[in-house]
Amino acid sequence: MIACLLIPGFELRAALRTRPRLALVPAALAPEAGEEPLLGPVTAAAEQAGIKPGMRLGEALATCPSLVLVGRDPAAVEREWEEALRRLEDAGFAVDPVEQGAVVFETRGVERLYGGVQPALERALAAIGSSWDPRIGAAGRRFTALAAASVARSGRILIVAEKDEQAFLEPLPLSLLPMTADRYSELEGLGLRRLGELAQLPGDAVAERLGVEGRKAWRLSHGGRKVKVRGRRPASELAEALVFPEAVANELTLRRALGSLLERLLARPERAGRPFRKLALVARLVDGGSWQRTATLRDATAEPARLRAALGPKLSELSAPIVELRLEAVELAEHTGQQLALVEPAGEEAAGRLREGLRQVRVSTGTGSVCTVVEVAPWSRVPEARALVVPRDD
Amino acid sequence: MVASSGSASARRSAGRLNAPRPALVETGPGGTPRVVNREQVTLVREEWRVVDRWWTEEPVDRLYFEVVLESGRNVCVYRDREQSCWFTQNA
Repeated sequence: MIACLLIPGFELRAALRTRPRLALVPAALAPEAGEEPLLGPVTAAAEQAGIKPGMRLGEALATCPSLVLVGRDPAAVEREWEEALRRLEDAGFAVDPVEQGAVVFETRGVERLYGGVQPALERALAAIGSSWDPRIGAAGRRFTALAAASVARSGRILIVAEKDEQAFLEPLPLSLLPMTADRYSELEGLGLRRLGELAQLPGDAVAERLGVEGRKAWRLSHGGRKVKVRGRRPASELAEALVFPEAVANELTLRRALGSLLERLLARPERAGRPFRKLALVARLVDGGSWQRTATLRDATAEPARLRAALGPKLSELSAPIVELRLEAVELAEHTGQQLALVEPAGEEAAGRLREGLRQVRVSTGTGSVCTVVEVAPWSRVPEARALVVPRDD
Repeated sequence: MVASSGSASARRSAGRLNAPRPALVETGPGGTPRVVNREQVTLVREEWRVVDRWWTEEPVDRLYFEVVLESGRNVCVYRDREQSCWFTQNA
């Protein structure tokens, strides 16, 4: 069975960990700097005062003048989320995070350990802790589990039996489907409000009218495909931090600090000679907020000059003076080095680049996303019988 | 070749290449396409029939048209005579 654990408003909850008093008053996550002034998640007190997530800032302040805006704290959110995932992993669940506040896992591997699905899910809830208000939905398919979690009450487990999945999905709102706002309004314009109404339409007609996105939504309204959940590989903690005695905004000082952090990170024995694939630069701002940028390298490297060139420009995006700078290795490459040939065989370089390109596509889009065309009956008069598209994971 | 799917929806099984897609076709008096997917047909370049697998439970009986649309695009459409509906496909 696939389970989905959901923590609504996770970003706000994580930001309020250091200011628990604000959880009891009307408060909302402030809009992101430079983005449209729309509120993030809101507290229960704010909801009672008529504030809704996604509301315009001006409208919200007019509705509730005492509304407290909580600054975004991406570093704290990431730290808390990672801790929550690790607690689940420590309890034996192979987790696949969907986004911050939503994670999917299979119960099959731990059912015998805990004595069934229900006890296993109770263990998952306990691992997260009741202070986060987690809830769990479980079903035979991933989308149904997500939908069940979104309607489950705080601290509760909602298990949907396989035979009841379609009936369970039918009355649920279309907003559960991962679609753009334009698509929602298009569907609403057609008079569709519930998943069941979309599921009743012929799939080909939906695809013709709404394209690939509509086809996917239609498939999900039937529960979606049966796919296995692949647990993430737990990341190892590899980070270096530098605390400044006083707030720093000077770019030259920041670049020197980055150079020093890089040297220390490269010298860590846990790296075992492996080059970096992805790094995160995290800063604690003087006003108490945080700032974070990640850099994924095209070619994994451990060369200080190339790493400085990739990370250095990000320091100019800092929005305020900082009191702490932290460099984290998010992902390391598997190989420890490349054996160079004195004379490259013809075509080897192009083939190597192609392999690397496909590897990067596979990493970003998941296994099964890179395919190869195999001719099966090139002589056939029926065009679709001539070739197959086969996933290629080598 | 790269499929347009995220990790969650990434396909693991083999799929057909060049599978037919449903098309909206309006026909003229002789049954030839006049409008394809809301675009006017300016020229019917070729027409042929494919009858195959008649010995199976899924026989194929299609009438193909290669047409040029108003935008200058070449499109291949066929009428499935078994299902009585239209599809586009690269023949």
